[in-house]
Amino acid sequence: MAEIGKIRIRIPDAIKKGDVIPVKALITHPMETGMRKDKAGKPIPEHYINDVKVYYGNDLITSMDWTIAVSADPFMTFYVKADKAAPLRIVWKDNKGATFEDTVQINPQ
Amino acid sequence: MLGRVSGMLITLLLLSGVLSVIALRESSAEGIQEYTPNISPEEYDKRYKEFYGEATKQMEEEGNPADLVLDDGKALFKKVDGGKGKSCADCHGQNGERLKGAATTYPRYDAGLKGILTLPMQINRCREKNMDAKPWKYGTYDIVAVELFVKSLSNGMPIRISIDGPAKPFYEAGKRMYYTRLGQWNWNCALCHVKYSGHKTRANILSTNRHHADHWPTYRMAWQSTGTIQRRIINDCIKNMRVDKLPEYESEDIRNLEFYLTYKANGLPIQVPGFRF
Repeated sequence: MAEIGKIRIRIPDAIKKGDVIPVKALITHPMETGMRKDKAGKPIPEHYINDVKVYYGNDLITSMDWTIAVSADPFMTFYVKADKAAPLRIVWKDNKGATFEDTVQINPQ
Repeated sequence: MLGRVSGMLITLLLLSGVLSVIALRESSAEGIQEYTPNISPEEYDKRYKEFYGEATKQMEEEGNPADLVLDDGKALFKKVDGGKGKSCADCHGQNGERLKGAATTYPRYDAGLKGILTLPMQINRCREKNMDAKPWKYGTYDIVAVELFVKSLSNGMPIRISIDGPAKPFYEAGKRMYYTRLGQWNWNCALCHVKYSGHKTRANILSTNRHHADHWPTYRMAWQSTGTIQRRIINDCIKNMRVDKLPEYESEDIRNLEFYLTYKANGLPIQVPGFRF
């Protein structure tokens, strides 16, 4: 039942306006490199996330190109200046065309 | 004459005393030659810190993928299953309140089983008896998730395993297992984890047996998934000894071994889910 694309995004509980906050995001994904073989000796096809985009409100604030070098169940941390009340949306896309996304609301006081 | 008889009696008494002492010593030590650890636990902690730094600890707190397994475990805990239309939460409280601290005494001796009862076995027993549901296969995702959730309710509480009374022979059996040499390499557990603990093996530091049982189920980078202590023992430790036929999950030897190891961790707080390399 281990599923692909389960997401957890964490931001601090209390945010002041203008704070630079850490955003921690975790997603479950096998990140197969395409270089491994299964027990029968057949190569396991590559299956990895290659595109990550982060939106704050309507703005694209960062994007990342990932390769097979990134580990399974990738975890990332980045910093955002919380200057408006808006949703933070992270979108992961893998090489098989699947899209995973999740949103957290940033509400600076 | 009288003096002679009483003298003989005293000798006999003394002899029987000596014999019983020998018998006792043999039954408790079981002919096991124990190793002395070459480093202290403090020295091990120091080396661990030097080698890994805070990396594992940081991942444990911030981005442990096992946290998502924990969520699944909680969902399964509340999910109705089986013929009686019940879920675990129906008896144990919506968030498992009544199971707080329950995991600190597992694995434990069970009179009905006449052996060691581990937490996954108790979960399956509960499913069969009280829920009329099909037992899960040991080592699969669902049962690991529920075990992780139940254990997480006891987080921070010290492990308190009792080896008194009828549990004693199983503790001894576990210890014997720990010191039994196996496989092509002819190793036993204690060789690495008592005699050479703190030394390197490939890219890892050999751990001391004190810390073995306090953080399972754990997310392991090498597995890229979350697993139990038994998976670690069977599919890594025993396999690395090049044992021909690997033991099954929840087989008697492995249960006794888990019991022994958990007793060694007595007093340490439970910290699940763990994160290891």
